[in-house]
Amino acid sequence: MNTIALQVNRRAVELPAEPRTSLADFVRDKLDLTGTHLGCEHGVCGACTVLLDGVPARSCITYAVACEGADITTIEGLDEDEVTTELRAAFTREHALQCGYCTPGMLVSARDLVLRLPDSDERRIRVGLSGNLCRCTGYVGIVRAVQSVIEARRARNIAPQTGGGRTSLGPAGSGRATSSSSESGPARQALAPETESAAPVRIPDFTPATVLDQRFTLPHAPAKVFAMFDDIAGIAACLPGVSLTAPPRPERVEGMISVRLGPIAASFEGAARVERDPATLSGRIVGIGTDQRSHSATQGEIRYRLLPLEGGAATAVELAIGYTLTGMLAQVGRPGLVRDLAKRLVAEFAGNLDRRMSGAPSEPTAAAELSGWSIVSGVLRARVARMFGRVGKGGAE
Amino acid sequence: MKPAPFRYERPRDLNAALSMLAASSGFAKIIAGGQSLGPMLNLRLVQPELIVDISGLAELKRAEISGGELVLGALVTHADIEDGRTADVTRGAMRAVAANIAYRAVRNRGTIGGSLSHADPAADWISSLAALGARVTLRSLAGARTMAIEAFVVGALESALQAGEIVEAIHVPVRAASAHWGYAKSCRKTGEFAHAIGAVLVDPSAASARIVIGAIDTTPIVVTDAAELFGGRIAADYKQRFDARVADALLTKAGIDDATQRHIHVSVLKRAVLEAAA
Repeated sequence: MNTIALQVNRRAVELPAEPRTSLADFVRDKLDLTGTHLGCEHGVCGACTVLLDGVPARSCITYAVACEGADITTIEGLDEDEVTTELRAAFTREHALQCGYCTPGMLVSARDLVLRLPDSDERRIRVGLSGNLCRCTGYVGIVRAVQSVIEARRARNIAPQTGGGRTSLGPAGSGRATSSSSESGPARQALAPETESAAPVRIPDFTPATVLDQRFTLPHAPAKVFAMFDDIAGIAACLPGVSLTAPPRPERVEGMISVRLGPIAASFEGAARVERDPATLSGRIVGIGTDQRSHSATQGEIRYRLLPLEGGAATAVELAIGYTLTGMLAQVGRPGLVRDLAKRLVAEFAGNLDRRMSGAPSEPTAAAELSGWSIVSGVLRARVARMFGRVGKGGAE
Repeated sequence: MKPAPFRYERPRDLNAALSMLAASSGFAKIIAGGQSLGPMLNLRLVQPELIVDISGLAELKRAEISGGELVLGALVTHADIEDGRTADVTRGAMRAVAANIAYRAVRNRGTIGGSLSHADPAADWISSLAALGARVTLRSLAGARTMAIEAFVVGALESALQAGEIVEAIHVPVRAASAHWGYAKSCRKTGEFAHAIGAVLVDPSAASARIVIGAIDTTPIVVTDAAELFGGRIAADYKQRFDARVADALLTKAGIDDATQRHIHVSVLKRAVLEAAA
């Protein structure tokens, strides 16, 4: 718990909260200011928009602790506000709401547009309101309401205000706090100890939701490469982020694969089986695993096929990497980013494989840590498959 | 939709922040405006043990012209640039890019340094700053290093930042009076991550151009020797000379196998070229 001191609706407030408490939960749960609504809780829908140091901000992705010393105005604090009073009348007149869920955030954003926009251009208003979702009205009444208030105010010679009056640089709400730290010790409960049961009993077949094709070449003969692919421990040592937890047998390989995509990290523990067909120089590794930290599960397979190149002196390795994700990590999917990751990992795999087959000492398997930060715990060391991504807003940290 | 618990530190200055990062040996995550990290924390895609909040550090809120370039501290927000609270050496190019990032409520907290650090290929600054020829300074306890934006982004959500290092400043060169600027992106919904980005800085009188094809799920394509895209030479008639086939070939080379995707990227790039020539 941290003690957080800030101003809410012109009233000084000092209350304890966990660092992870959002500003929205802080005003709703601790101050009973329930006019601030929570919709998506990841910055997309706009229902939670409040004024932070006088300008709109998402209270669901702004943590209360980061607003130390800041000045917050929720919808309840806008009762006497001149612009909001005009907007309320216009919303009523134009039928700019039905269920009312989006309305507090909509009014905060609309007020900002009324202050900033030079005129009542419909397109600019629609773009300006695009970060506030309304599922009832179809926006027509809302846009008309905002237009009418802007027109009325400009007709009364009230000039627009660049930046809504903000003059300082940096994130709204920042800059008035002194240094601080959480008072309690490690906030997180230790992960449950890894147990034997982490490896599933059965390795089922499945149809992958996503398949990525990759190809690389090795300066070794196909037969030699195929023999190498039979050395499960050796292959595992070349795969970035893979470690084995038991002596491997073709019908059952137990281990762990760690992946990282930017700040997203996962470590899937599970089992796989290996199938091969010497006649076609092809094979398949199919596995299933779970990531305890994110309560996610994945099924994955790597199909490979070896083709002779340069009259049999070299080998083209064709890979089809398929996977299906369920659980928390599956809520965001951006296969394009995974493809980029897979490309980089396969390149690394190919390099390791070549080094190993040429007799050079292979790199340690921590290779999945491509750029080297964000290590999680002793058990979850590196991270591998970066399967995820988009959280829906325009790329703004 | 609530983050997993984390410890929180608000260092008093940049050195204290760097010391915390160094001491955390990778267990910590920096937060500035939190507009990319916040959603990931809420979705529990990211579960750091420690969050180091740098949003209050005055050292990172500077914006000044020095040595013929604009130096922006990492904490300058998109809204700061959009509103003109920072000097502009790009004759409006950066203001227009900033004004179309996500939504105003996001721009009021989202920072230029945070956006770069996050290294999402679909974000605006990665492509636009690469086209403008900007550089980025990274700082750690060991010192500082400066590199071109295109060298900073190494892949999807993957930057050149090492453990213990943070983005300190962005250096933007003055846009030549004769240089034309065009920036276009394709979003199905206003404010969402772009599906394609085209950024072009063309100087016909100097016969030079910097062309960026971005939002391709990996490091953007940055073309500094762009004559081939304009039929062999860059001159006043570059709009007519733009060769879509060369752009298409660049995309194929970058591994974009889907012809529809390539078509979208080429169309968006063409829009940026037309805007520059307008």
